[in-house]
Amino acid sequence: MACWTRESPMDERKETKQTVFSRAAKFLKLYSRDRSAIFGLIFLATLILAASFAFVLYPVDPEKPELASTLFPPSVVHPLGTDYIGRDQLMLIIYGARPSLIIAFAAGAILSLLGTLTGLAAGYFGGKVDGAIMRTADIFLTIPTLPLVLLVVAVLGPNLINVMLVIGLTGWPVMTRIVRSDTLSLMKRDFIEIERVMGAGIRRILFKHLLPNQLNSILVYTSLSIPVVILTEAGLEFLGLAPISVSWGFMLNTSISYWIIGAWWLSFFPGLAIFSTALAFYFVSEGLKAALNPKQRRRQESLVVQLAERK
Amino acid sequence: MGFATYIAKRLVVAVLLIFVAATLNFAIVHLAPGGPDAVLLNNPRMSPEARASILKSFGLDKPLYEQYALYVIGLITGNWGTSYFFLTPSYMVIAQRIPATLALMIPSLTLTIVIGIGIGVLASRKPFSFADRFLSSFSFFFYAMPAFWLGFVLLTFFSLFLGVLPASGMASVTSTKFQLADYLHHLILPMTTLTLVNLANFSLLMRSSLIEVLEQNYITTARGKGLTEHLIFYRHALRNALLPTVTMVGLFVGFILTGAILTETVFSWPGLGLLTFDSIFRRDYPIILGLFFMFSVMIIFSNLITDIIYGLLDPRITYG
Repeated sequence: MACWTRESPMDERKETKQTVFSRAAKFLKLYSRDRSAIFGLIFLATLILAASFAFVLYPVDPEKPELASTLFPPSVVHPLGTDYIGRDQLMLIIYGARPSLIIAFAAGAILSLLGTLTGLAAGYFGGKVDGAIMRTADIFLTIPTLPLVLLVVAVLGPNLINVMLVIGLTGWPVMTRIVRSDTLSLMKRDFIEIERVMGAGIRRILFKHLLPNQLNSILVYTSLSIPVVILTEAGLEFLGLAPISVSWGFMLNTSISYWIIGAWWLSFFPGLAIFSTALAFYFVSEGLKAALNPKQRRRQESLVVQLAERK
Repeated sequence: MGFATYIAKRLVVAVLLIFVAATLNFAIVHLAPGGPDAVLLNNPRMSPEARASILKSFGLDKPLYEQYALYVIGLITGNWGTSYFFLTPSYMVIAQRIPATLALMIPSLTLTIVIGIGIGVLASRKPFSFADRFLSSFSFFFYAMPAFWLGFVLLTFFSLFLGVLPASGMASVTSTKFQLADYLHHLILPMTTLTLVNLANFSLLMRSSLIEVLEQNYITTARGKGLTEHLIFYRHALRNALLPTVTMVGLFVGFILTGAILTETVFSWPGLGLLTFDSIFRRDYPIILGLFFMFSVMIIFSNLITDIIYGLLDPRITYG
C-alpha cells in the first residue's frame, strides 16, 4: 500500500529501469534533432568561454584608450575595426558579453524563482491567495516594462544588482501563469489526490510532486525568457543606463554620433552580438522544449503561447 | 448586465491601474538613496536655511502621506513638477512631444497589424509547408532583433550608402510648415524598423489561432454543407481567428511603445522616446517620472479600448 501511494510520474520513470545515463542519451538524441538548437548551444558555449577567459585572449584593460588607432575600419589586425578611442572592437565585444550574460542568467533565475513560487502558491492554495497573486500579476503585466525598468534604474542608479533585480522583478508574471495552470492540472491527478487522502503534508505535495513534475517546463520557459531579458538590458544600455561601460548596448549608445562619418562597424557588430545571442537562446529553448516536452513538438508556437499567456 | 455597466467597470479598473502606476512612481522616487531631494540639494556648501526653504518650496518638508496626496492631486491637475532642464512644467514638455510619437506609432501599428495578419493567413493556408516555415522564420528573425540596431542598419544603408532616405527628424530642416510628403519621406525608415521588429507578435499569433480554428467542428460542418474552401476560410475561419488577435492589440501597444522609445532615439524622431533618452542623459528626473506615468496611461487606455472593441466584436461575450 505505502509503496504505490508514493507513485508519481517521476518515480514511474525511474522504475522502468531508466538510468541517468540512458535518460541523458535520450535527451541528447531529441535535442540534437533540431540543427538550429545545436548551433545555438555551440554559439553560447563559445561566447561563455570567450567571455570567461577574456583576460587570457586580450590581457589588456578594456577601458584604456588607444588613441593611435581611432576609428580603423575592419582589417586583419582589427577584424571588427576599432572604436572612437581606438579600442579593438572584437576585444570590446568579448569583454562586453560579460554584463549581458551575467544579467541574463541572474534576472532569468530571479524571475523564474519568483514565478515558480507564486505560481505554486496560487495553484495550490487557490481562493483568496490565488486572487491576490493573480491580480498583482495582472498589474505587473499592464505596466510597461521598459519604461518602468528605465525609471527605476535612472533613479536608483545603474549598477549590476539594480538592473538584474528590476528586470527579474518585472518579468515574473508570465512564469506565474504557466506554473499556476500546470499546478492546477496536476492537482486534479490521482496521485496527488491519493497523497492528500493519505494525509501528506503541504511540503511533501509541493516539493515532492508539484515542483519536480514541472521542472521541465520551468526550465523551458526560463530559457525562453532569457532573450527578452537580453533585449531589455541592451535597450537600457543603449539609452545610456549601462552598469558597466564595456557592454554591447553601451557600445551602440556611443556609436550614435559616428554613423554619419561612415563608421558603420561601430554600431553593426555590437548589435549583431546582441541579436545573435538572443537568437541563440531562442534556438536552445526550442531544442530544450523538443527534448523535455516531446509531447508538444509544435515549433515556434512557444513564443505565441508565451505572449498569449500574458493576457 | 448591460454593455454600459461593463464599460463602467472597465473604466474603474483602468483608473485603479493608473493609481497604481502613480503610486509606483512616488515609491521609486522616495526609495532612491537620499530621497527625492538628493538631486536638488546636492551642494555641500548649502546653508541649512537655504536647504529648508528649498524643501519647503517643493513641499518636501511635509509628512509622507501629505506629500503623496499632493502628488496625486498634482498628477490630476497637470502639476507634474518642473523640468530641471527646460525649467518649464514637465507636463507641458511631455504634452508637446505626444503628437510626434503618435505620428510614428499609429502608422506603424496599422502596418504591423495588416502585414502580420496577411503573413499569418498565408502561412496557415498550408501549415508546416515551405511557405509557412519561411514566413514564420522571417518574422521570428526580426523579433529577436534589437529595434535600435535594425534602425542603425537601415539608416547606414539607405541614408549613408544609398542616400535615398532622410536619416533623422520628422521634417526637413528647410521646411517651415508641415508638409505631408516630407513627413511620409521621413516616416519610411522608422516605420519600417518598428513594423519589422513587431511583426512576429501578430503573424505567429494569427497563424496559430487560424490553425486552431480550422480544426473546429463548425468548419467541418461548413465543409459538409459543401461550401467552397475560399468561403470557409475567409467567411468562417478568418473572422473567428481575428478575435484573439484583436485582444492582443492592446498588449502590443506596449511593445510598440517600447520599440518607439528606442527607434525614435536612433532616428532623432522628436517624440517621447527621444525625450526619454535626452532626459536620462540630462538626469532630468521630473521628466523621466512624467514619461513613465504617460506611458502607463497610454498602455492602460489602449488595453481598455481593446477590451471594449472585443466586447463589441464577439457576440458570445456577456458582460459579467
